[in-house]
Amino acid sequence: MTDSPGLERGYRRLLACYPRAFRREHAEEVLAVLMASAPDGQKRPRLAESADVFWSALKMRLRGPGPASENRPWADALALFSLVAPLFLLLVDILNVAWPYRLQLGTRNSFFAQAFGPHPEIGGLPLLSVHIFTITVAAEVLLAVLVLLGLRWAALAALVGTAGYWAAAGQSIPWIPYPLQLLTTGVFIVEAAALVASPGPRRGRQLVNWRVAVMLAVAAAAVYVSTFRYDMSTFPGRLVAWQPSAATFYLAGSVVLAVAVVILAVVWKLTPYLLLLLAAMFWPYAIQLAFVLTGGTTDLLGNPTPRHLVALYLPPVLFACWVLLTAVAPHRSRLLPS
Amino acid sequence: MAQRAMQEATFLILTALATASQHGYGIITDVTQISGGRVRLRAGTLYTALDRLRSDELIAVDREEVVDNRLRRYYRLTPKGSQTLATEAARLQANAAVALTRLNASRPGLAGGGA
Repeated sequence: MTDSPGLERGYRRLLACYPRAFRREHAEEVLAVLMASAPDGQKRPRLAESADVFWSALKMRLRGPGPASENRPWADALALFSLVAPLFLLLVDILNVAWPYRLQLGTRNSFFAQAFGPHPEIGGLPLLSVHIFTITVAAEVLLAVLVLLGLRWAALAALVGTAGYWAAAGQSIPWIPYPLQLLTTGVFIVEAAALVASPGPRRGRQLVNWRVAVMLAVAAAAVYVSTFRYDMSTFPGRLVAWQPSAATFYLAGSVVLAVAVVILAVVWKLTPYLLLLLAAMFWPYAIQLAFVLTGGTTDLLGNPTPRHLVALYLPPVLFACWVLLTAVAPHRSRLLPS
Repeated sequence: MAQRAMQEATFLILTALATASQHGYGIITDVTQISGGRVRLRAGTLYTALDRLRSDELIAVDREEVVDNRLRRYYRLTPKGSQTLATEAARLQANAAVALTRLNASRPGLAGGGA
């Protein structure tokens, strides 16, 4: 056993590899064992000790926030998400229908003016005249009702059916606004995992409160405002003589609202796991938005390459797989040693 | 579905806690002694195992002490842990008995203590 201050500092640096929750409870205890195990005269952590701690910390991090059945905050966040995500998606869709906005094409381009008319609308009420959109919204209403009733497997079946319909019908009607497509896909990927892995929307119903509702309403507003800025950079919005100040206004507005969501979550002490789930859900749209705002001249979805699809969908898909693994981890790891 | 066999490190850790609660360093030295020096647990390995055993409710924290300004947390077997260890020990014993019986049958005098 040694009391070398340098060795202790080295061990403390090693312990930083562990997840914060583990460090909070066990750091001093593990440090005591490391110091007790070190022979006299040892000045710094040995390679084998460091590798052992790294490996141990890596396994704990890969285990994530813990198996859903054993980690109540994580399980609750999944349950809450499984309830509120379909409601959020419905709200976003309704926003895009309830508050239409017109693109003033005017006579800048006679061909497009003829094709779209002088005052075409992107988003908004015209969506109601699109068969696929009406059916999709109806399916989303059904999904929302099923989660509100706490019918987990029926909701999952409705989700899979809606996704299948969307994928099939979207081939022939490609102009449903990309933000809605991307948000819907993000919601569906994470929601499917949450429905399977969580205690279910019935538990979510016990956890939901007005604070969560307000936070998601602000998030929906952020999405709605951001779609204006998005459409300014994409076809046919590029044809419109937008005021430069409008671009700044819409971008700043969506950023302010997004920051407000995070602030509300922190102030109201909502579980960070819920924010993690929302981040995974927003990923496809956020990537598309970032691509467009940083000078991308085409939509990632417009003529998608495999690389585009990977950038848009692989992260939420991997996240969903990880969520599912946390659900089966208790069975997989039962009695496995360190 | 058949239950997985317990791995040796887990078995030795539970065995170290079978008679009394122990702190981390005590478990490491005890496991080394039980295994005749063959298994030497390192701190990271030990605490990954302890974390998993706690979540499986096979062990629990017994008490904490501060010795020489260092935290010692003692762990003990839970009733579920005792039952699991007993089941595993019986399984190993049964397997060993079959192995020894067959060895004795095929090559008398080779097994059974080498008398």
